Amino acid sequence: MKFATHPLNAQALIPGHIDTASDHFRLWWSQMMVFVGICIILLPISWLFLTAFKLPRDVYALETAFYFTPTLENLQTIFEHPWNLGNKILNSFAVAGGTVLLAIPMATMAAYAFSRFDFRFKKTIFLLVIASQFIPAAVIVLPYFLMFKQLGMLDTRSALVLINMSIVLPYAVWMMKGFIDAVPLEIEESAMVDGAHRARVIWEIVVPAALPGIITAAVFSFTLTWNEFLFALIIGKQDALTLPIGLISFRTERGDLWELMAAGGILITAPMFFISLLVQKQFIKSLTAGAVR
Amino acid sequence: MTQISLRGLHKVFGSTHVVRDLNLEIEDKEFLVLLGPSGCGKTTTMRMVAGLEQATYGEICFDTKRMNEVPTQQRDVAMVFQNYGLYPHMTVAENIAYPLKLRGFTESQREEGVLKAAERVDLGPYLQRLPKELSGGQRQRVALARSIVRKPKVFLMDEPLSNLDAKLRVAMRAEIKHLAYELQVTTIYVTHDQVEAMTLANRVAIMKDGVIMQLAPPEEIYTNPINLYVAGFIGSPAMNLIDVVAHEGYVEAVNGLRISVTAPRQGPMTMGLRAEDMQLTSESDAAFTAEVYAFELLGDSTMTTFKLGLQSVAVKGDKNIRLKFGDHVGVRFDASHLYWFDNESGERIRSTLSR
Repeated sequence: MKFATHPLNAQALIPGHIDTASDHFRLWWSQMMVFVGICIILLPISWLFLTAFKLPRDVYALETAFYFTPTLENLQTIFEHPWNLGNKILNSFAVAGGTVLLAIPMATMAAYAFSRFDFRFKKTIFLLVIASQFIPAAVIVLPYFLMFKQLGMLDTRSALVLINMSIVLPYAVWMMKGFIDAVPLEIEESAMVDGAHRARVIWEIVVPAALPGIITAAVFSFTLTWNEFLFALIIGKQDALTLPIGLISFRTERGDLWELMAAGGILITAPMFFISLLVQKQFIKSLTAGAVR
Repeated sequence: MTQISLRGLHKVFGSTHVVRDLNLEIEDKEFLVLLGPSGCGKTTTMRMVAGLEQATYGEICFDTKRMNEVPTQQRDVAMVFQNYGLYPHMTVAENIAYPLKLRGFTESQREEGVLKAAERVDLGPYLQRLPKELSGGQRQRVALARSIVRKPKVFLMDEPLSNLDAKLRVAMRAEIKHLAYELQVTTIYVTHDQVEAMTLANRVAIMKDGVIMQLAPPEEIYTNPINLYVAGFIGSPAMNLIDVVAHEGYVEAVNGLRISVTAPRQGPMTMGLRAEDMQLTSESDAAFTAEVYAFELLGDSTMTTFKLGLQSVAVKGDKNIRLKFGDHVGVRFDASHLYWFDNESGERIRSTLSR
């Protein structure tokens, strides 16, 4: 789900700049590599998009790979019984949105504390926060299952929000600490002298100044939660199923229903796509509004 | 309206003792400059007054009220930071209005305050810009405007001019001086630039290693430095300091040059003499003659440098003088302009001849 914006080396593309055969070859080579790279990234995605609009009989046939009569039937079928993807989309949004809404404010505070305050065992604690993510998910999935069973929270969205927060928080804290570190202490002190209490300093000065970082962490957290599969599979049963789980339900005893899976795939990709577009703009804007030295 | 008292102030960071037993009474409406090289504790002292740093020992009082436990937000001080400390996401107007916003002023009151403060520092046309769209000098003005938009008890300025280029610095210096005169607020100004200290201050506190060496009006510091350190710090160029051994009726410099003056005592000591207190003269009535090491035109005057061993002596002269490398010239001075310092302690040696 990355939309990189690295421009090519512009110098190398100016025709007047090429004066030897080896330069020529290098340019040709780099263009080839870019082309191959784009193919590798885009081919599966375009395949997915094509398949989503195919009738079942066209899915496996080679002669209809690119030339077929498109249909919207699949996009309709996936919302009907027994697939009911609408329900799952709602769950996915609730879980991902809830996780981000809870995790980001918490991570901001934690990151601020790690960045600005001195306390005992600060380094160790910070390391532990990160280290919690070194444990493979498969190891803790069973304890989680038993825990939520005891609590009577199996197949609930809140259970998924809690689990996803435990995954997302350490990353978010770690990312945001870097961004808050980059906010000059002087502007905080300046605000304090102007008469702002700590809470206002954080809310009115630090948060806006670290906004690019906060947005980055939020998008990252949303993506991670949106795509999370293992825990959603174990915790969910019927009411709290999310989109990724919805997708594997297309693997039936009648075989894999690729056209429906592709249609679902579009649904799962679309929000990420729009968020990326939106954020990219906002992100660049906030970056250029960076601190004044 | 505010008198600041610092009593027995200490600041210790880990194993470094940054400020040692600092005692200072700053009068109401006084412009006090803390002057010293980096690491002398001047900024730390100011930050303790602001409450950004806690005093390890000692007391900070505004008038009669002890401030040590009062948090920064409630001290009602305004501060201009070295890097201006502007809020990058706020426009100039929002930056200036922020202290008013925090004090619960209404929108229209804020607007009025911003316009007034901005006008005072000529920022009118830039109110809607972001700080990053301004030049260094303009940012400096925003920081100033933000500090004068309310009437604080105390003004604190931490090297506010050090990030500006030389020309702008001179212009802003005059503006700060005028602003201080207009506002009549007790001000502490931190700098390492002795010219800023001389031009702005009512009194200057020269600091070294966390201790105040001398606290006096600029004129006094200039004409009556208490020790070698102060003498070498103040003045542009700094006072000429020559290691000599004093004998009966003359002193001998390191390179063997004999200068006919009477020292307050005999033996090794340091002789001080300001560049403008010496004149170039013919060899006949000179206190000493030497070879020109460098000759500089300054426009309104000239500067001639001699070398006595490794030590250089600068002499300010008339703007019409022209000399070449290697010329032999005499130097004359009035014995009353001489300063004598003890080599060991650096303390001033007073004599009947010198002031």
